[in-house]
Amino acid sequence: MKSNKIPIRFTINGEKKELDIPPGISALELIRDILELKGTKEGCGIGECGACTIVVDGRAINACLMIAAQLDGREILTVEGLGQTGDLHPIQEAFAEQHAVQCGYCTPGLLMSTHALLQENSKPDRKEIVKAISGNLCRCTGYHSIIAAIEDAAK
Amino acid sequence: MYDVDYIRPQDLHEALGFLNVNGDVTKILAGGTDIMVDMRSGVLQTHYLLDVSRLDDLRKIELNDGQLSIGAAVKITELLESDIIAAASPALKAAAEKFASKQIRNVATIGGNVAHCSPCGDTIPPLLIHEAQAVVVNSQGQHNVTIEEMASGPYHCSLHSNELITHFVLEPKPQEVEFADFQKIGRRQELAIARMSMAAMASKEDDNSISFLRFALGSCTPTPHRFYEIEDFLMGKVPTENVLWEAGKILAEKMLDITGRRPSAVYKEPAIRGLFMRMMSPLIQ
Repeated sequence: MKSNKIPIRFTINGEKKELDIPPGISALELIRDILELKGTKEGCGIGECGACTIVVDGRAINACLMIAAQLDGREILTVEGLGQTGDLHPIQEAFAEQHAVQCGYCTPGLLMSTHALLQENSKPDRKEIVKAISGNLCRCTGYHSIIAAIEDAAK
Repeated sequence: MYDVDYIRPQDLHEALGFLNVNGDVTKILAGGTDIMVDMRSGVLQTHYLLDVSRLDDLRKIELNDGQLSIGAAVKITELLESDIIAAASPALKAAAEKFASKQIRNVATIGGNVAHCSPCGDTIPPLLIHEAQAVVVNSQGQHNVTIEEMASGPYHCSLHSNELITHFVLEPKPQEVEFADFQKIGRRQELAIARMSMAAMASKEDDNSISFLRFALGSCTPTPHRFYEIEDFLMGKVPTENVLWEAGKILAEKMLDITGRRPSAVYKEPAIRGLFMRMMSPLIQ
């Protein structure tokens, strides 16, 4: 096991961090195990489900597929940075109102994909929404309520 | 947690110096979307990851003197968003649209896709129809490697351990070419590895006969490549439905010549003919 550490600096959910991290960990492991932010989930671990989606420098990415050291110098947003209990982000409110959450496991990733989409394109049509969330799998809802929630949030 | 070390060189010179000493035990890291999967499965074990994703030399998209240059660390999303790519290599843009998922497009790179040497790499058929070459450098100098030469077999890259790709040079789409496309068949609409893919660009004379055609097939053979037999067959002919159907038949036969008649031929033979018709039908009057 490589015992050296890589120094990295980044901003996460508005907070500046400076850490020494093991070279061989993923961004997902950094977020969940070191920063103890448990909102971001591991679904498949190989970039095929989108449960681990976070926003890095404005772009949605799979945290399981990024070496944590590559977060150096980046601005990161996880679901914890989107809204809080009692102070939900409009996207979170839309998801709740449109019944787009059942077991909730895919939800953090979907919220981040949605946030990234609306930052890039504040008025996406249905086709653009579907394309943007095609990297996020949901086993519960059948997606219609999710798309309705995103259309709602985009209003 | 993987047993690797992470190195980020500040410039190309430093990267090449590192590869000279440690290339045998180093894997070049750009987007990481293939590396992370391969480390997780155990297929890849390496001592160093050399992160080249931020080297400026590898990140440009330029059209100069009739040559299109695409940096190896250019992300798939950047290909999608580039006006130069849209104009000069629309088939590559079409491939980028169908590539994996948004999350993966935002970090995966064209250099990584090529160097991974998967038979199914989506960027490869479009690069082939543009006669793309990889500019490969080491600390002694540089040389060009064609896309065909890059893979010595499925998942076997012919690059030496002290080398890396800085950028690709492509012939841009000729002005008169109005048709260019990439099509693929996968198990789903997105996040699908291509079971079959193809790229083409073509132009027609005033009498509707084909005056220019480039065609490449991906996923169906151990390494993707151009199919000159199809190009030769269609040149000078007016592309009617019958003519294209005949061309698709030749394509299927040639593919099976390479792969042999395996169990998957029952599926692949009609599928390749169908996909060919789907892609090429816009050429019918």
